[in-house]
Amino acid sequence: MSFATTIVENALRVALEHSAKKVYGITVVLGELLLINPDQLEFCYKVATKGTILENSRIHIEIAKADIKCINCGKAYDVAIPLCELCGGFVVVNGGKEMILKKIEMELDENQDRISSTDKTGGGLNA
Amino acid sequence: MHKVEIDAEIDLLEENKRLANENRKYLRENMIKAVNIMGAIGSGKTLLIEKTIDALKGEIKIGVILGDVICKADYTRVIKYDVKVEPINTGKECHLDAHLIHHCITSFDDVDLILIENVGNLVCPVDFDLGEDYRVVMVSVTEGDDVVEKHPEIFRLADVIIINKISLANAVEADVDKMESDAKKINPKALILKTDLKNNIGFEDWTKFIRKILEK
Repeated sequence: MSFATTIVENALRVALEHSAKKVYGITVVLGELLLINPDQLEFCYKVATKGTILENSRIHIEIAKADIKCINCGKAYDVAIPLCELCGGFVVVNGGKEMILKKIEMELDENQDRISSTDKTGGGLNA
Repeated sequence: MHKVEIDAEIDLLEENKRLANENRKYLRENMIKAVNIMGAIGSGKTLLIEKTIDALKGEIKIGVILGDVICKADYTRVIKYDVKVEPINTGKECHLDAHLIHHCITSFDDVDLILIENVGNLVCPVDFDLGEDYRVVMVSVTEGDDVVEKHPEIFRLADVIIINKISLANAVEADVDKMESDAKKINPKALILKTDLKNNIGFEDWTKFIRKILEK
């Protein structure tokens, strides 16, 4: 639930910064190692958005795979294990823990000027 | 109707990372070591803290942060040892985060070590850096000897793994060797301790670890 609340708080902040009347959908990227159950997150999102301009919006979830490989021989793995089964080298895990609010689809107040910039990381507008 | 889609690309965990780094900076500037004690409910986290204070209070100044749904019971236990204790009632939140620690950490200035008891949970706390120096994960034999293999991520990121209540292993038909071997497989670098804190078994290895980290 706390993940859902964080997503909703940030999506609301961005939507209100753009004077949005309604949000139709958001896209989040979740690292696979966060072990978040997408079904459960969708449910919690539905609960957390009630009474806000995000109510009834869709949440699209993209799972980001972790990059897990042996630093010695480069063998890649799907799960985080400590030592390479091939050469015994250390297996390093990169990524897989991110939680990114990627996109927000919303309806703007028609009386607002067209927006030229969006967020602090400099993302663009796709109308 | 003017419908748009914006690329937000907002890192939702950035705030926790930022506050964890601020906590870490405060601790380093004040030469305080912090240990984040995570583990299952009832694994012995509070008892570990009580015994640590009792054993080392003559040589180390210790402060405690207690996180729990309702902290009162643990607070009552630890405050008897005459140390500074900050209780954090986490309510329905299943983990401590850097923000909660940030609120109280600056009230500790005259200590060498802060022991942080995290909420009893082997899943959620792992993703929330508090700014600590060391992560300890505690389990006990009463949770079943498959508890380690069922929760690999929290054990993978631990510096110390404590398997507690080993004297009860036969009674609950738990294989301590399996628990230890699962822990070693997941995290060969971690210090693994087998203890029975109520009966003082294995506790000296823990105090040795604490003394060692305070030498650094």
